[in-house]
Amino acid sequence: MSYGILNLAPYVPPMRLERGEIYGAVGWAVPSLKGLATGERAVANWDEDAITMGFEAARRCLSSNQQPPSRVTFASTTFPFADRSNSGIICSALNMPSSVRNEDVFGSRRAAVSALVRHFETKADGLLVASDCRDAKPGSAQEMSYGHAAAAVLLGQGRVKAEIIAASSIHDDLVDQYRSRGNRFDYALEERWVREEGWLKTVPQAIDDVMKAATISTENLDKVIVHGSSGASRSVAKKLGISPEKIANNLYSSVGDAGTAHPLLMLAEAVKHSKEADLILVVGFGQGADVVLLKRTKEKLTNDWDFELNRRVVKNYTQFLSLRDMIAIDFGLRAERDNRTALSAFYRKNKEITGMLGGRCTKCNTLQFPKSLICVKCGASHSQEFESLANMVGRVKSFTEDWLAYTPSPPYIYGNVEFEGEANIMLEFADFGPGQVKVGDNVRLVFRIKDFDDKRDFRRYFWKPAPS
Amino acid sequence: MASGIKDKVAIVGMGCSKFGERWDCGPEELILEAFDEAIQDSPVNRNQIEMAWLGLFFQEQSAGKSALPLSISLRLPNIPVTRVENMCATGTEALRGAVYAVAAGACDVAMAVGVEKLKDTGYPGLPERSKGTFDDLWLPNSTAPGAFAQLATAYSEKHKKNPKDLKRAMAHVSVKSHANGVLNPKAHLRKEITEEQAMNAPMVSAPLGLYDCCGVSDGAACAIVMSIEKARALGLKNFVVVKAMQLAPSNGLEMSNSSWDGSYLLTTRIASERAYKEAGIRNPEKEIHLTEVHDCFSITELVVMEDLGLCAEGQGVNAVLDGKFDKDGKIPCQIDGGLKCFGHPIGASGLRMTYEIYNQLLGRAGERQLDSPSVGLTHNLGGHPFRNVASVSIFGLI
Repeated sequence: MSYGILNLAPYVPPMRLERGEIYGAVGWAVPSLKGLATGERAVANWDEDAITMGFEAARRCLSSNQQPPSRVTFASTTFPFADRSNSGIICSALNMPSSVRNEDVFGSRRAAVSALVRHFETKADGLLVASDCRDAKPGSAQEMSYGHAAAAVLLGQGRVKAEIIAASSIHDDLVDQYRSRGNRFDYALEERWVREEGWLKTVPQAIDDVMKAATISTENLDKVIVHGSSGASRSVAKKLGISPEKIANNLYSSVGDAGTAHPLLMLAEAVKHSKEADLILVVGFGQGADVVLLKRTKEKLTNDWDFELNRRVVKNYTQFLSLRDMIAIDFGLRAERDNRTALSAFYRKNKEITGMLGGRCTKCNTLQFPKSLICVKCGASHSQEFESLANMVGRVKSFTEDWLAYTPSPPYIYGNVEFEGEANIMLEFADFGPGQVKVGDNVRLVFRIKDFDDKRDFRRYFWKPAPS
Repeated sequence: MASGIKDKVAIVGMGCSKFGERWDCGPEELILEAFDEAIQDSPVNRNQIEMAWLGLFFQEQSAGKSALPLSISLRLPNIPVTRVENMCATGTEALRGAVYAVAAGACDVAMAVGVEKLKDTGYPGLPERSKGTFDDLWLPNSTAPGAFAQLATAYSEKHKKNPKDLKRAMAHVSVKSHANGVLNPKAHLRKEITEEQAMNAPMVSAPLGLYDCCGVSDGAACAIVMSIEKARALGLKNFVVVKAMQLAPSNGLEMSNSSWDGSYLLTTRIASERAYKEAGIRNPEKEIHLTEVHDCFSITELVVMEDLGLCAEGQGVNAVLDGKFDKDGKIPCQIDGGLKCFGHPIGASGLRMTYEIYNQLLGRAGERQLDSPSVGLTHNLGGHPFRNVASVSIFGLI
């Protein structure tokens, strides 16, 4: 039986920043950025991070899957937690059985492709999630070129959409860029050196290894996924004699470089636009290279995506900096609120808070959130069973745009949302701007950061209604 | 069978501090100001008070927990004091404790004091507070205006009211309370406003603008109560008695079940129904002569008029615009300026409302005296429309 990709899904946050807006704000200091100032980049909202974006890609990837995967691997260089299982949070939010294996992989931008290689070599079935939310110094080239995004692939044997044929791996400590522990920003070296010594030496060698293993020539490749700059991918193609149109679009003009997630993000796009028997090569680069060769099968893709859906544009550069917590706007004394989390209480209610499980009364069938000891409708005691509301369509019953309450993105929008015409929940909204919510609107729940606790460097997550 | 509280307890002395931004006063000074007036108004002296109840909501921001803030600031002679807290119904809860103690025969004379010192927080509006370890994990960090704004949106939706017409009626509510507040020397805000000003004021939480919101004030109020027998034994003839005191807290239905549509205040309906029964009132529109209701926001007052049965459901906008609840209307509401202009020191508010009814019934309300009312109603709504504590009390003469 063939081994490969059973399903895949990208997630690009709906928020965009036009690069011209960045240049307009920092061009006075760094005029050389002008050449990069085209198109737009994806920006995680203030309540998104690698976990929430990774989760969104994961749930989309599993949407048509009945059986939970046997393991969840989460790759990122921007895990919110250094010591707390980040993949564990995704597993909880997905309501995975506790026996599902989970691990976090990191340390390089190629971590996701490395994990893909290892899955292939062990024929392990599992969900591989990659997500990166890299912030960059104002005025840096990375601020222009980076984007925030995630992607997930479900791997295993069976009716795969793309079969993995061969893989290779090379480690090579060429420090093209790095980020030390405790630092927020990447330190990048001269691009020409990285291209000459890295992209044009390590990558061709790794590709050559794969082609030999598969006994296929590079001319037969239909799509080559190189996640670096356009310059790097063009040079690699030239060196290997691959015609330029076979180089996959690196999504610079619409998303930006999403780090660990980028090879899988581009792979999702490549698979979506491929035909049966197409040969797709995906490269992961960063202190070495991982290369995976795939062959598209006749299986139809069961999910679709549109990066432009619900697209919102960040108003200006200052708002972008504020949403990413790069400048401290004075939000007033209400922002001083102490958001300490009682972690023992959180653990007791983990299913409700992380899993979005409500209770369904077995006596009167009433759905309610949170699940309670006594049914709100019929008064039966201990009668409720857990039921997930995560994928239910909600309807806005009432809402407000509150300019008094603190939020990093005023106004604070919240309201009553009804599920199945029965359960009513008061929730904070996500991804809506002023004037964009209406009573009667349909909304879907997304997993987001609820509050930051700056004093203790903690963040807590919950679900919010977003545009459907 | 229980007979209820009607005609068992007399209010024999009341006091109320000036409400407002009392930068020069702490909770102790406010308590003493209300207490001094009440004790002088009453036929007893401070040593005859046998039990006391203290209403205080934001204890962290002012006087601290327990009986001690009251017992120490008045140097009470170690009598039993209980601190109560039930959000915006706190002041009424203090009174209910004192009234029930007297009715139970546990003592002859009891006192209720409500106080709140809100202007030590350093910013306008109410202080942020934790909702509890679990609720903080999921409920929005909402503000009171944000929560009550939704009462307005759900009300317009349900009754198909043009939001502009509703906004005009809300403006009328505030204009009326401002006009009433001008006549009240103890009120926080004593300035007339126009409908246009109210409608065009800066938005706080749509559709609630600045003038749809009540003031955040410092203040205290105090009541001294005793049994009717004791009042008569002391030779009192004309006194105010408690006709009903009812309380209805949410049980979570509004917030978790769609059978509540967000357009009305379920607990107010329940509490008022019980209060009318306890007081023997069959037709509130005719038998209630004035009300002091929880006008934390203009929309709340409008909806409460319907929930108290003082106008038909869905008719609030017309009734308000027709002036039914104005000073010269059929059932004047907030004749003292209400929370809107008298102010809203949370722990004191229920007792402040009682203070106005008390003075009106005794014919001592000065410039704002109504034409011989004999039955008045107070109403508090603690919390938010979707989860709250409602109290309805009725006072009359005997």
